[in-house]
Amino acid sequence: MPEPLLKAERIVKVYLDGTVALRGVDFEIRPGEIQGLLGENGAGKTTLTKMISGLLPPTSGRLLLGGVPVRLHSPKDALTCGIGMVHQHFALVANFTALENIALGTGRPADQALRASIEELMERTGLGVPLDTPVENLAVGERQRVEILKVLSRAVRVLILDEPTSVLTPVETEELFNFLRRLKEEEGVGIVFITHKLREVLEITDRVTVLRRGEVVGEVMTRETSAKELARMMVGAEFRARGRRPVELMTEIPVEERRVGAERAREPALVVEDLHVPADSGGEAVKGISFELYPGEILGIAGVEGNGQTELVEAICGLREGKGSVRLRGREILGLPPLELYRLGLAHIPEDRWKYGLILSFTVAENAILGRQRSPRFLGRLAMLKWGEVFAHVRELIERFSIQAPGREAPAKSLSGGNQQKLIVGRELSQEPEVVIAAQPTRGLDIGAAEYIRDILLEMRDAGKAILLVSADLDEVLELSDRVAFMYVGTFTAITTPAEVDRETAGLYMGGMKG
Amino acid sequence: MKRVYDTLRSVAESILAAIIGLVVAGLILKAWGYSPISAYIALFEASFKDLYGFSGALANATPLILTALTFAVAARAGLFNIGAEGQMYLGALAAVAASLFRLPPVLHLLVALAFAGAAGALWALVPSGLRATRGVSEVISTIMFNWISRFLAFWLVANVLVDPYRAEKTITVLPPSRFPTLVRGTDLSYAIFLAVAVALLVYFLLRYTVTGYEMRAAGANPDAARYGGVRSAKVIVLVFLLGGITAGLAGATQSLGRPPSYAVFSGLPKISNLGFDGIGVAMIGRNHPLGIIFAAIFYGGLQSGARVMQLFAGIPLEMVRMVQGVIVLALALPELLRIFRGFRRRRVELGGER
Repeated sequence: MPEPLLKAERIVKVYLDGTVALRGVDFEIRPGEIQGLLGENGAGKTTLTKMISGLLPPTSGRLLLGGVPVRLHSPKDALTCGIGMVHQHFALVANFTALENIALGTGRPADQALRASIEELMERTGLGVPLDTPVENLAVGERQRVEILKVLSRAVRVLILDEPTSVLTPVETEELFNFLRRLKEEEGVGIVFITHKLREVLEITDRVTVLRRGEVVGEVMTRETSAKELARMMVGAEFRARGRRPVELMTEIPVEERRVGAERAREPALVVEDLHVPADSGGEAVKGISFELYPGEILGIAGVEGNGQTELVEAICGLREGKGSVRLRGREILGLPPLELYRLGLAHIPEDRWKYGLILSFTVAENAILGRQRSPRFLGRLAMLKWGEVFAHVRELIERFSIQAPGREAPAKSLSGGNQQKLIVGRELSQEPEVVIAAQPTRGLDIGAAEYIRDILLEMRDAGKAILLVSADLDEVLELSDRVAFMYVGTFTAITTPAEVDRETAGLYMGGMKG
Repeated sequence: MKRVYDTLRSVAESILAAIIGLVVAGLILKAWGYSPISAYIALFEASFKDLYGFSGALANATPLILTALTFAVAARAGLFNIGAEGQMYLGALAAVAASLFRLPPVLHLLVALAFAGAAGALWALVPSGLRATRGVSEVISTIMFNWISRFLAFWLVANVLVDPYRAEKTITVLPPSRFPTLVRGTDLSYAIFLAVAVALLVYFLLRYTVTGYEMRAAGANPDAARYGGVRSAKVIVLVFLLGGITAGLAGATQSLGRPPSYAVFSGLPKISNLGFDGIGVAMIGRNHPLGIIFAAIFYGGLQSGARVMQLFAGIPLEMVRMVQGVIVLALALPELLRIFRGFRRRRVELGGER
């Protein structure tokens, strides 16, 4: 076995807010090998590679470069040591040519010498790019090549690629793979390939390291493993034991009967048909999705983040354009503005609390009416807001959803994350909507607050609401949902019930293996 | 409670900034061999010692309150409206145009004011429409519109509203449409009440109405505002119309309420820069309508004090301007920093990694 190019030993990373991202990870990169790094969101893939590429210092543990301990203070340091990373989001100047961008990235003038050396590099690696076209006119795959050339021109020995295929078409992906194989065999570069796609791991890597919750749960040779084994390692074999408290009932009717009553209705509350949503980077983020959502059920959408869930939710909720059909109780709502949807009975708990959910500098009271500022309850004569009513409403929310706030006149930014989320959830549900779109409703919350939000969702379901739950937390989806759909690169790989999927199958669906 | 604390904090910050500004300017004066003490005595005695001087400060403050509101309302909604200057020119001339016909007192003044507000609003309409529908930067378009307005105003003064007997000025505003003088022998007219009333109205609008709520929401977090059903195009146009009205009125206070001329002169000597000065006043007043009233009086006081400083403390005009600049800069700095911090945060959100 060749000597490793780079070795990470017992790496621990604790972020300033106390999040433990990595719990003593060992990792090796060997020359002439493609090393897969596989894991769910939050498993620590990105944190680990950021440390190897000098973007973040480890809390403890060390990096050995050819057996010698090194400290990397910046990406520049890392490049000097021969370690380069290509990020998911490109750092290119749109109206510069490819050559100018490479010059910018390497600190060399865009002269004939640079051109010659890049042309030689392209020749050697088979990675062709038109050098004199502004990158804004290049296809996404070509832009990625510019990024790779930028890194390779610094003579790196270790190349890290973060989810490189997420923006590529199948043909571009195939070209990238061919190039990576050539780079590995002819140049002996060690390549780290970060992904959550099982098929790609099996196709391109030689060795796979699987991370889960900051720990290495497995390191296997690719030819000795299978998609099933990888899926099992990635999502874990066991359910998190949590012991759900019984849902407090809002009516006297036993849950079972009401559930049956809801079943009998069988009139879907929300129908989505062949929905297509464009991605920000061009192409389609949602590629023709159809489903029906019934009153009294939670339909969970599981999947690794970035597979089109955000775009799907935003299109349904009127925040993004889409093609196809979305009907709320028979009425076409695609393209209606958010406030109109709200009036029709569609509530949206947005995935990004700080972007859509709250105005952080506004007070709790002001936030409590966001989206309802023009409802008759709060709007008086002369366009004046009835602050008395607003305050009464805040009191109700604070009481009903046990929100801990220093006061209704305190700015929303002074609340903890959990209480901010309770404020949003309370605001959205207080209108008694018929359909609730909950996107990552418990992300970043502590266990108590997360449980509380989950209980509310179950309570709403039992009260006959139709709930679409989008979450990257597989356990959450499997535990709360009556039906579950798995999303992978813009389509559903399966719609089934939690009882019918074991975690291994779930992992396969999320990795795009079946469907 | 929190609100009171925040207000006290802002006031304390401003006072500290003023002191720092005075000290820095004083050191510079000293370095060039002038006495800062006598300079400052001259500066403040001019405006804040007796009724006569204070009237001058208030007279200077009148248009500045209104042009500062133009900038502040837009800033609260997340927009940079630099167009008060041009809107103000046209407001001043529209108010003069009301004297092309005769009306009874009071009504004539109201009609003249309506003309001025409408002219300012109309001039704001195109930049706001371009921004709302095509995304054209309002900074650029309002600056360009200032120039168009300026030369349009030159032409109007020389050709349309020209005084048949004195070609260098417009016709004189008829007495029924003038603001009566408030303190005899000074420039101060009842227009100050208009300015203060408009500021209070804007304060009320921003704080208590749903329109103000939506404007502030759009400024504080455009994404959340959209999610909350706020239509940004509507907010943009409203904010600009409102700003155009206040800027137009600012112009009117000058042509209808500034003795002795009651006219606009060619080259616009007396009204030039009132719109730009308003931006500084808005910064000093933290883009808050009530803060702006005090900031404008302070700024107006500096302006008349500067003249006295030059006359009595024997300090050259350039030095006087320097002192003024340093003080204004020091006072505007906290708000400026906040605005730039907001910009940077927005950029990080746009391009940054999660």
